[in-house]
Amino acid sequence: MTDPGTLDHHASGSSAGGEMVRFEGVTKRFGANVALKDVSLVGHAGSVHAVTGENGAGKSTLMNLLAGVHQPSAGTIYLHGKPVVLAGPRAAQQAGISTVYQELTLLPNLTVAENLYLGREPRRLGMVDRSAMRREARSVFARIEVDLDPDAHCGDLTIAQQQMVEIAKGVAVDARVFIFDEPTAALNGPEIEKLERLIMSLKRGGNLVFYISHRLDEIFRFCDTISVMKDGSHVATQPASELTRDTLVSLMVGRSLDRFFPHRGTVRPEAPLAIDVRGLVPVAGAPAVTFALRRGEILGLTGLEGQGQREIIRAVAGQIAPVSGEVVHHAKDGTSTGLAPSPVAVARTGIGFVPEDRKSEGLFLPLAIERNIGIGMMRRSSIWSRARIDRPRLTGLLESMNVRATGPQQEVQALSGGNQQKVLIGRWLAAGVDILLVEEPTRGVDVGAKSEIYTLLRAFADDGGAVLMTSSELSEHIGLCDRILVVREGRLVAEMPGAVATEETIMTSALTGAPFRAHAGAAA
Amino acid sequence: MIGRLFSRTSRSGIGIITIALPLSMFVILSFTASSFFTAQNLGNVGNQITALLIVSLGQLIVAISGGVDLSVGSMLSLTSAIIVTFDPAIVVPLAIAAGCVLGTVNGIGVAIFGVHPLVMTLATATFVQGLTLLVSPVPGGVVAPAIEALAHGRLFGLQPSLFWCAGAILLCWLLLSRSAFGLRLYALGANPRNASLNGVKVVGPIITCYVLCSLSAVAAGIFLTARVSTGDPTIGAAFGLDSITAIALGGVQLSGGVGSVPGVILGVVTLGLATNGMNLLGVSPFLRMAATGLLLLGAVSLQRRKTIGV
Repeated sequence: MTDPGTLDHHASGSSAGGEMVRFEGVTKRFGANVALKDVSLVGHAGSVHAVTGENGAGKSTLMNLLAGVHQPSAGTIYLHGKPVVLAGPRAAQQAGISTVYQELTLLPNLTVAENLYLGREPRRLGMVDRSAMRREARSVFARIEVDLDPDAHCGDLTIAQQQMVEIAKGVAVDARVFIFDEPTAALNGPEIEKLERLIMSLKRGGNLVFYISHRLDEIFRFCDTISVMKDGSHVATQPASELTRDTLVSLMVGRSLDRFFPHRGTVRPEAPLAIDVRGLVPVAGAPAVTFALRRGEILGLTGLEGQGQREIIRAVAGQIAPVSGEVVHHAKDGTSTGLAPSPVAVARTGIGFVPEDRKSEGLFLPLAIERNIGIGMMRRSSIWSRARIDRPRLTGLLESMNVRATGPQQEVQALSGGNQQKVLIGRWLAAGVDILLVEEPTRGVDVGAKSEIYTLLRAFADDGGAVLMTSSELSEHIGLCDRILVVREGRLVAEMPGAVATEETIMTSALTGAPFRAHAGAAA
Repeated sequence: MIGRLFSRTSRSGIGIITIALPLSMFVILSFTASSFFTAQNLGNVGNQITALLIVSLGQLIVAISGGVDLSVGSMLSLTSAIIVTFDPAIVVPLAIAAGCVLGTVNGIGVAIFGVHPLVMTLATATFVQGLTLLVSPVPGGVVAPAIEALAHGRLFGLQPSLFWCAGAILLCWLLLSRSAFGLRLYALGANPRNASLNGVKVVGPIITCYVLCSLSAVAAGIFLTARVSTGDPTIGAAFGLDSITAIALGGVQLSGGVGSVPGVILGVVTLGLATNGMNLLGVSPFLRMAATGLLLLGAVSLQRRKTIGV
């Protein structure tokens, strides 16, 4: 493994360790929303500086100010000790600030070299000098030791290669400040290592690297300084060596991890049934599954990815028509109905389905919160009835779920992932369902809101409801579920109480299909 | 090189069909229509497609930016009306000025006020067509000899249409494939947001595209009026749809970011051969029109979608 040479543009390197970027009392408002409140923060040369916090904490907004995408509503940004106005992305680039956005900004129909020099093309006789462009691109790639064909179209590159091009863009303009926004989201192990070597060589070259992420592993692996943001404010900046994972997490969420999951329910085996699934064959060729969901219970369907959990929960929800089998809903008043395989019929019975892809399958993104929830209130009304939203109930619901928004009129697409998920669950609560089928309850949801969603689901179950959920996070099953069913190749291979399940017992059953044995051996 | 030409992300848009279609038409017509493969007829095809080629190259520029211009036909008709109505000394500058105004209005509507290009240019097309009929309600009028010479005089014994085509192709190719403007145009056509994050301005170049497109219609109008030697207030009526059909046949992606001069030449030749062939085979002109509509639908459905900029 070769180590890239040090990228020292300024041989003197005198500023190593000196102040490079300073935010002084920076505030950013979007309409009535305050995204950043009076943030002051200093970044030093030769440092990899993590900016972390929950989703919506303001870390991306802060970096967007530095990248010239937005302008501060108040406060000043200093670069090398001098106040600067970064009027646009171009101004920021010219000031030596290079940004690698999470959603890469390369143009797929341009070549690597063209992307590298877009907006500042070398000219010859008034025309673009493509050979100079290629030559300079090669020399930049040599400096950062990446092997890329300057004539390849960017649309043909992998995400990792595109990221290298974005970094090369910064190196090519002799940028001194690099911003990385969640750079590892789409990378695999070796690609992350390559990125690490690049970041370290930028650091050795006396550059300042801002690293936005909420992946703790990488923060501690790459960064020497950590700044934590919360609700638009700067909470703390400390050397990485003085923080542990636990102290960092508690800074991020403002509470410690042991209060992360709510108390577990006390479901008696004789609790009334909520859903009875008998001999359900969700898709052709799958084995039949039989299980029951009881009132007051949160039941988890777990296993390795793609073992059939999704098909089972979707067949119960009426999203896919099962090959055979029966799903019976037992209402609170004792009546039982066999469920027809149709989403509308299932919803009318009193079962809410929260899909994993809430943006395309669950929410109406351009519509207001009140409309997204209001549609639940009208679940049973005739299509000709007047659409009226019960506002006091809506307000009460939003308050009880702690939805952070400017008001019920705010568009759902402007909300953070956690608040969107609350709105989606809120729709079913407003509809008065007594059973929730939830896929990936906290996908794309930040740490603080996760805990609130767990509490919300637990309260729903305690109130006589019942929850059937799938999740790719084992800890979520262990922390939240009363009972866990392990699915392997479409079959229910093990059942275990959440209170005694461990990642090991679940993985053992998921991998081998072995039934659950509490305190392995002791039960024998 | 060939691999790169047909690469999934190549921005030329030229595919196998783009090349095979005009070739196979040429071969089929050589066998089925006896008068097709004659110098006389091929010269005619060349003359017929010159105006369409000029307009289509303008349409290409707008299409790469992600737009479309339906007002080219009306602009062409207006040019024809201007030439037979006003003092010959001022008709060319007047037509060019009119083209600049129309293009600027289209561009401002699309780039600044966010009007959909179809709606914006359909509105201005209707407005300009009305204006044209006010200026010159019926065909007729005399074209000044100096202007007639632009389409009839021979230079080095060659057809003047050749020079018009060569000029338009050279200008458009330099602009799109050699200038920084062209490179940035491909960038913003593929993704305006990302282009602007890379420091590419968006509004100015889009307005410029519409101005260039209107000017291409003015040029085509001057050539066509000179060739038929009389004015006609509806001479351009078919050019809006025809130019869009031609560029779609040439592999230009109407969502922006993909398209090339060679592709447009192939598309124009395809449409020209189709029209000429049906003419020679005695197909009704109304059926020819219907066929153009089908060709457009066919060309657009053949396009690879969601590969770039969508």
